[in-house]
Amino acid sequence: MAGLVILLCAVAVNAMVWGSVSIGWQNVLVILLEALPFGMVFEGLEIRSVHEDILLQIRLPRVFLAAAVGSSLAVAGAVFQGLFRNPMADPYVIGISSGAALGAVFAMLSGFSLAVGGFGAVPLFAFGGGIITIMLVYSMARVGQAVPVMTLLLAGIAVSAFLSALVSLLTYFAGEKLHMVVFWMMGGLGGATWYQVRVMVPYALVGFICVSIFSRELNAMLLGEETASHLGVNTERVKKIMLAGSSLLVAAAVSTSGIIGFVGLVVPHFVRLVAGPDHRFLLPASALLGAVLLIATDTLARVVIAPSELPVGIITALIGAPMFVYLLKKRKKLRYFGGGG
Amino acid sequence: MGINIEVHGLKLAYDAQPVLEETSFTVERGDLVALLGANGAGKSTLLRCISRILRPTSGSILLDGQGLEQFDSKEAARKMAVVPQETTADFDFTVEDIVMMGRFPYLNRFQKEDQKDREIVRRSMEMTGVSHLAERSIAALSGGEKQRVIMARAVCQQPEALLLDEPTANLDIGYQSMLLELAARLNREQKVTVIAAIHDINLAVHHFNRFILLAGGRVMAAGRAEEVITPENIRKSYGVPATTYRHPLHGVLQVSVVRGRSSEENRSGSGPAVHVIGGGEEALPVLEFLSQRGCRLSVGPVSAQDSGCRFAHFHSLPVVIVPPFTSMNGVHKEEHLKLMRDANMVVVPPIPFGEGNLPIFEEVETALDEGKPVYIIDLAGVDRRDYSGEARQLLESLVEKGAEVLETVDELHETICSGGGK
Repeated sequence: MAGLVILLCAVAVNAMVWGSVSIGWQNVLVILLEALPFGMVFEGLEIRSVHEDILLQIRLPRVFLAAAVGSSLAVAGAVFQGLFRNPMADPYVIGISSGAALGAVFAMLSGFSLAVGGFGAVPLFAFGGGIITIMLVYSMARVGQAVPVMTLLLAGIAVSAFLSALVSLLTYFAGEKLHMVVFWMMGGLGGATWYQVRVMVPYALVGFICVSIFSRELNAMLLGEETASHLGVNTERVKKIMLAGSSLLVAAAVSTSGIIGFVGLVVPHFVRLVAGPDHRFLLPASALLGAVLLIATDTLARVVIAPSELPVGIITALIGAPMFVYLLKKRKKLRYFGGGG
Repeated sequence: MGINIEVHGLKLAYDAQPVLEETSFTVERGDLVALLGANGAGKSTLLRCISRILRPTSGSILLDGQGLEQFDSKEAARKMAVVPQETTADFDFTVEDIVMMGRFPYLNRFQKEDQKDREIVRRSMEMTGVSHLAERSIAALSGGEKQRVIMARAVCQQPEALLLDEPTANLDIGYQSMLLELAARLNREQKVTVIAAIHDINLAVHHFNRFILLAGGRVMAAGRAEEVITPENIRKSYGVPATTYRHPLHGVLQVSVVRGRSSEENRSGSGPAVHVIGGGEEALPVLEFLSQRGCRLSVGPVSAQDSGCRFAHFHSLPVVIVPPFTSMNGVHKEEHLKLMRDANMVVVPPIPFGEGNLPIFEEVETALDEGKPVYIIDLAGVDRRDYSGEARQLLESLVEKGAEVLETVDELHETICSGGGK
């Protein structure tokens, strides 16, 4: 865990050094320390104010946002995989992303100029679309007081397919806005602002706290809901809280950065392979590793064809997938998650 | 420790298909109860109602007089632990992690497991014999080991009642009785109330002292083994004719659903008619061998209550019976000769000989004289089972007169297949 924190710091500093304008790492540290409200002043290094602006107004919020989005997705992925006892589950499995995409595409095409605070219509509609979708799926899957996870999963897949079709339909008629729509769907952190960070981080924190205080319950639920219930877990309540918490995480992440794939699917598996399935470790470790992965890949996305940018979702999959396969091969056994042997 | 569980008028239906109908019974503090019944009789459903997985449509379940629904999840888990038939454990939790989960109902949300919890986990693993597996992954264990780990977790929960839902269904015979013995031990040492749904009645009678027989969602019988496990009850609830008997070795009540043949079936057998001399344990393998091959058998003379005699009665065979503790005398001679005359052949199994049954030889000799084929099994070993000192000589004189000697009963196979006789 400590290793992950150190890694996170290193990746973050590196992210601020690299870019179309390179800023030396000493300068980065100095600018950061001086920006902290301790009144520290360092002599001797000549800091250009344009560097200071790039760093504090562009790169730093972007690093924060990448960290928040990456950890939200990774934690939500871990929760869904545990809740559904299914290694294929990812943060988007029950349709939050399709709902958010529909909201976002709708906002782009209709050209609403609605803005609340520093947000335009796109993130607002995306967030709303995601939350409405999860509520719809939840109410469809409910049988009396209980929500069977299998039904939830299937209802999610059905709703997701339906909404995706609507998104495709809208995309088909997107005209000159097609580029914008496709880019949004690939996901990216371009244009991150401090305002986004300020809004995103509380959601991420609330969501994370929500799910992580129930990690012992989630452990028991890995053994099956009946077993968990025999052990004294109020399974229906845990499911509700878990769903609410992780939906919040996903909706917030998707509305600020589009649909970034792979992080939420793979990061929890990475951690499980190395450290086992205990959610008391898995959730915080996934949060850290998700942040690390997204900061690092976002840095690459910015620099490989600088001054242009690649959508970060492409990089996460390009780098993450081979690494994951390597780890799988090295462990040789998949029994950590439903593999049996 | 130990609670009593009252079930009143429980009703439950799956999709309008009633599973429990007015199920009522009481389990006293410290009872060790086996829940019996055919597949679909409602055993698992009943246990799942008690363990709060299912909610009955009507009726009530009381723990120590208090309604089940009044407990919150953790309270209920401190009262009751459950060992299911099978646990899916695909995750890489260690055995110790799994057992530690039994402490869940005792911990607050932000409380960490302390020394006391670890001590309880250690003792539970010791009691169920899984300490050596503590660091192993649950996913890598065999079914029997896994079930003992689940049992350890249940022990770790320190329950007052233990519910087992066909816990031995997937285990080999060794693990089956080990697991039930563990449950019985918890009951004995900690007065834990135990209710277990069990398929194998003959296994259940060894470990439990009260029995509840369910049929069609109702309690058909409840009480001691003799009261519940009767041929009539078994026939009505499982739909098969059954026989109950005391096991010859340990005297425990047992059930057999192996059906004896009727006398008509014996008469219409495809094989030759064979008369087997004498009874006792030694004759049983011979009788069973011949019976399996469709021979129409007759038996005798045997003592009443001898195992050969019981075999004859079970399959409705013609038999000559001598009252116990009397020696063979002329009284049964005619009867015996008649059976031998009706048969295609006579077999002398490797039975013990004493002063009492020597008169048989005379009768066999008569049959031989009349041209009946006679087969003597294991003549070589006769000295070991001869208590009269004359048997070898008498048997050898039969051989001189044309009786055939076989090493084992298997050699009769071809003779039987060819229709018998010489």
